[in-house]
Amino acid sequence: MISTNKRCISCEEEELSKNTIGINRKLLGEDIIDFYCMNCLANYLEVTVDDLYDKIEEFKDEGCKLFE
Amino acid sequence: MIYADNAATTKLDIDAFEAMKPYLLQEYGNPSQPYFFSRATKKALRKAREIIANCIGALPEEIYFTSGGTESDNWAIKGVVHGKKKGIITSVIEHHAILNACAATEKFGTNVKYLLADEKGLVSSDELEAIINDDTALVSVMYANNEIGTIEPIKELAEIAHRHGALMHTDAVQAVGHVPIDVNYMVIDMLSASAHKFNGPRGIGFLYIREGTCLTPFFDGGAQEKNMRAGTENVAAIVAMATALQKNCEKMKEVEVRLLNIESKFFSILDNNYLEYSQNGAYPKIPGNINISIKGTSGEMLLHRLDLKGICVSTGSACDSVNTQVSHVIKAISVPEEYAQGTIRISFGRDNSEEEAIVVAETILEIIQGKNGQVEKLEGKS
Repeated sequence: MISTNKRCISCEEEELSKNTIGINRKLLGEDIIDFYCMNCLANYLEVTVDDLYDKIEEFKDEGCKLFE
Repeated sequence: MIYADNAATTKLDIDAFEAMKPYLLQEYGNPSQPYFFSRATKKALRKAREIIANCIGALPEEIYFTSGGTESDNWAIKGVVHGKKKGIITSVIEHHAILNACAATEKFGTNVKYLLADEKGLVSSDELEAIINDDTALVSVMYANNEIGTIEPIKELAEIAHRHGALMHTDAVQAVGHVPIDVNYMVIDMLSASAHKFNGPRGIGFLYIREGTCLTPFFDGGAQEKNMRAGTENVAAIVAMATALQKNCEKMKEVEVRLLNIESKFFSILDNNYLEYSQNGAYPKIPGNINISIKGTSGEMLLHRLDLKGICVSTGSACDSVNTQVSHVIKAISVPEEYAQGTIRISFGRDNSEEEAIVVAETILEIIQGKNGQVEKLEGKS
């Protein structure tokens, strides 16, 4: 099992949620081990945090186990 | 927003929309009724049937209105299984409307065989010749593949089917209104079509059934469609379907030329930027259908990143809640593993512009080459 960094790689916000890690994996790659918090991910992708929450809801509706 | 998923559905044609309005608001008489108020709807049905028949080289009485491609496919498959012959031959790259309908017939004692596809997605007439026999009731092979756009050798397959006394059905959902089709030249016995794939409304389609073909009715009920497909006709949608199909057929060549230019521009941008990808499918194919597998990336990730940029495409791989699964078509054509998971389908349609194709290509490059899933520390943070 590859260990993952649960701190935002950019702003170092701690304790990233399962949903935050899940959306990182979905949008940046399944194999990543470093993650952004929601704000930094939105900034990186040039979208809004609400856009990301919409995507999370869609993934959850599809039954994706990466989300809670 | 850039809509580049026209193989999934298309924008309703404005003339088709206008054509359906009177049949929703004023001329709403049930065409089965014998009074004057239903005369206009009866005439509209007759005219729509003539227009559609003319677009595929059929007779008007050979056109049966259905709710769309899935119903048409199910009818064609399940309508032949009650005869003496129990064999059905289809291909491994069919749409699930065919694959699941064929599988469902096995409970009636059918024997379903599957033709393989080569790396371009073409099924082989030699293979059909080898597995067909006198017990084969039906050969069903799609006219054009919905994922990779490959156009199958339907005429050759139909001739083999007929030599062995079998019927030939083709799921032409991706082809009708996009490439020329003549059911007589192609010797097709049944053909499925869906209006929303050619700028008509959703929820309407048709099944072409060659005169004299022995097929059982799909629904039990009223006497509509010569007792073959019960249910009050959706006149407004039928009229709109005919309008859209006629318009698409009239502009087919013009649209094809434009789409080929758009495709060429799209690929030139990818090639000029050294993207490592393989193009899936064979020529001839459905114009505007681009299916590529990009090395070392995830098609699903790409789809969602493009979505966040306002670009709609489709993927050839999807998460099944735990793992990424490559589609049955991409598996069947043996796309190498390091490419297969990075499969996306971009299907440009008549409303797309070259500028949009450029944006789609450049955005793909930006996602793949610019950031490529690498988590970076953002400037000005931390």
